[in-house]
Amino acid sequence: MTEVDPLIPPENVAQSVPVPSPIGGESTVMFGGEATGSRGFWGEAWRRFRRRKLAMLALLFVCFLVLVAIFSPFIVGSKPIACHYKGVTYYPVFGYYNPNWENAIFSKPPFFKKYKESLFEKDPKNWVIYPLVYQDPFRRIGEGERENIPENRSGDQGAPDKFSWFGTDQNGIDVFAQMVHGTTTALLVGFVSMGIAAAIGIPLGAMAGYFGGFVDVLLSRILEVVMCIPSLVLILAMIAIIEKPSIWYIMAVLGLTGWTGIARLTRAEFLKLRNSEFTTAARALGAGPLRIIFRHILPNALAPILVPITFGIASAILTESALSFLGLGGSGASWGKVLSSAQSNLAMWWLIVFPGGAIFLAVLAYNLIGEGIQEATDPRLREAGK
Amino acid sequence: MVTYLFRRILLGCLTLVLITMLVYGLIRMMPGDSVSAEYGAMDPGMKINKADEERMREARGLNLPWYFGYFKWAVNVVNWDAENWRPYVDLGQSYREKRPVTTVIGERIGPTLMLSISSLTIAYLLSIPIGLYATARGGRVDERVISTGLYMLYSLPSFVAALLLQSYFAVKLEGTWLELPLHGMHSSSLEYDEFTTAGKVWDIVQHSVLPVICFTYGVLAYESRFIRANMQEVMRQDYIRTARAKGLGPIRVLVHHGFRNSLIPFVTLIGLTLPALLSGAIILEKIFSWPGMGSLMFESITTRDADVTMGLVLIFSIITLLGQLLADLLYAVVDPRVTYS
Repeated sequence: MTEVDPLIPPENVAQSVPVPSPIGGESTVMFGGEATGSRGFWGEAWRRFRRRKLAMLALLFVCFLVLVAIFSPFIVGSKPIACHYKGVTYYPVFGYYNPNWENAIFSKPPFFKKYKESLFEKDPKNWVIYPLVYQDPFRRIGEGERENIPENRSGDQGAPDKFSWFGTDQNGIDVFAQMVHGTTTALLVGFVSMGIAAAIGIPLGAMAGYFGGFVDVLLSRILEVVMCIPSLVLILAMIAIIEKPSIWYIMAVLGLTGWTGIARLTRAEFLKLRNSEFTTAARALGAGPLRIIFRHILPNALAPILVPITFGIASAILTESALSFLGLGGSGASWGKVLSSAQSNLAMWWLIVFPGGAIFLAVLAYNLIGEGIQEATDPRLREAGK
Repeated sequence: MVTYLFRRILLGCLTLVLITMLVYGLIRMMPGDSVSAEYGAMDPGMKINKADEERMREARGLNLPWYFGYFKWAVNVVNWDAENWRPYVDLGQSYREKRPVTTVIGERIGPTLMLSISSLTIAYLLSIPIGLYATARGGRVDERVISTGLYMLYSLPSFVAALLLQSYFAVKLEGTWLELPLHGMHSSSLEYDEFTTAGKVWDIVQHSVLPVICFTYGVLAYESRFIRANMQEVMRQDYIRTARAKGLGPIRVLVHHGFRNSLIPFVTLIGLTLPALLSGAIILEKIFSWPGMGSLMFESITTRDADVTMGLVLIFSIITLLGQLLADLLYAVVDPRVTYS
C-alpha cells in the first residue's frame, strides 16, 4: 500500500475500504487500483457468519447479555441511581460495582433501606431516581422501604407476581434481581477464564508447533497429562485450596485448567503453517522466531483457534454455575446459586426454570456462535455448505 | 505392535505418575488435613491435646514434606505378596471410615459403572438409528426438528435437567403411578431388605431411571450429531453414487456403504466418552445421592481424606488412559490402513 496508483483518487487508496461499485449491486473492495472483488479473510468470514440466522441471533443475544451485565444495577437494585441531598448529588448505584464507590453515609442508618424518608425529612426539595425495578439481589426487601411495594414473601410462598417477576427464594430475596446481577458473573467468567486459557494455550501450542523436536515432545507430554485429569477433579482440588474462593479465583482456576483444547489446535495450525512460503519468506528476511510466531503465523492461525475459545466460554459458564450450584462459588449473585436454592424445595419451580433457562440459553448461544465461526472460517466446511 | 503397546504403557505410567504427583501436591496445599477434619467433627468434650494431634499427623505421614509423602504413597501402591506369589494393590487407609481405601472405593465402583455403562449402551443403541435417520431425511421437516432438538439437548446442562426431572417426576407426580424416587440407589434399607429379588431389581431400576436419563441425553445428542456430520461427508463420496447407480436400495447404501465407512471416527469416541461420563458423575451423583465414585470424590475432598482422593484420581486416570489406548487400538481394527508397527 505504499505505491499510489495515479488512476485512483487518493481517498480510495488511503485505506482499502469497501466502496459502492459504480455499477451498483454488491460493494467491492478497491485495492491497488483494480476491483478484485475480494474482501479479505475476515470480511469474507463475517459475510458468511452473517448469513447464518441462528448464529446471528445468538450473537445478538450475547450482546443483549453484555448490556444487561454492564447496566445490571440500573435495571434492578435498591440503591438509587442518583439522589440529591443537602445540595450535593450522589450516585449510590455504583456501590453495586464496588462497595467503596458508594458514599458511606448511605450504607448505614438512617439511610440504609430508607432513602426516601431520610432524604425528604430534612429538605423537601431533594429528589431521587431509582432503578427500573426496585429489588435487591442480596437482601430481602422489607415492608415500607418504598411506597406501593410490599415485603417480599419468603419460604415457599414466593411464586412470581407483579412485584417480583421471577419469584423470590426461601429467604425472600428476589430471583429477577439475582439473575440480572448474576449475568455479570456468568459473562465475566466466560471472558476472563478463556482469556487466561488463551494466554497460556496459544503461546504453548505455538512453541510446540513452531519449534518442533524436543520442545514439541515436552510440551505435548504436559498437554497430555493435563488432558488426562478429569477437569472437574482438578478444579475441585484447586478450589479446595482456598477456603473462601472469590469469583476471580474461580476464573483463574477455570483458565488454568481449560487451555488444553486451545493449545492442541494452535499446535496443529502452527505445524501446518511453519513450512508455508510466507514463513520461509519472513525467515529469509531475517525475522526472529518471536516475530514470525506472533506477526506472521498467528494472524493466519487465529480463525481455527477462535472456535475452541468460543466453546470454552460456553463450558466455563457451565462449570461456574455447576460450582455455584455445589456451593463452591464466589460471594456474588450467580445463576447457579439460585438453582442450588431450588434443591431444598423442588416444588418451587421458578427457582429451577428461570436460572436453568438462562444457563441453557447462554451456553446454547455460545455453542451456536462457535459453530458459526467454524463454518464461516473453515474452507472445508464451506465447500460442504454449498 | 508389541513395541507400540510397550511404549504406550510406559508413557501411560509416566503420565500416571505426573497426574498423581500434581494432585497429591494440591491436596497437601489445601488448608486443613484429615486430622483437623476429624478433630473438628469431634465432640468438644473429647478434644485431644496438641501432642496427640501431632502424633496422629506423624502416623499418617502428614508431617513429611509433600514430595516424601507422595513417594511414600506411590511406593506403597504396587506391592508383592511373597507368600501367594502375586502382586497386590494397597491404596492406603481411609481415615474417615477407618477402612482400607480399596474396600471403600470397591463398594462405590459398582453403582458408578452401572450408571455409566447402561447410559453408554443406551446412547450408542439410540444414536446410530437417530443419526442415520437424520442423514436419510436430510433437509426435510422431521430432520430439522430432530437436529434442532438434539442441538438443544446438547446445550442443556445436566444438573438443570436433573433438577427439572426431579421436580416433575418426584414432586409433581407424587402419588401417581408414574412417581419416581428422588434420591439414592434403593429404598431405605429396612424396606429394601424385605423385598424379593425381583422386587429389589425393580426398586433399583426405578431409582436409576432419572440418573440414567441425565447421564444419557448429552452423550446421545453429541453422538447422533457426530454420526450425522460424518455421514454427510461420506454420502458425498463417489462410491455412494456408484452404489446407487448400480441399483442398490437406499437402506443398503446407507448402512453397508455409508455407515460402515463413517465408523472409524465413531469408534474412537467410545474410548473418549467414558472419562467424560466419570467427570459428570461428580455433580449428578451428588444431586441424586447416588453412592458412586463421583460422590465419594466430592466427599473425600471436602473431608480431606487424602488417600481416598488419591485412589480415585488414580482410577479415573487409568480409565481415561485405557480409553485412549482402546480408541487407538480400535482404529487399527476398523481401518486396515492403520497399523502400529
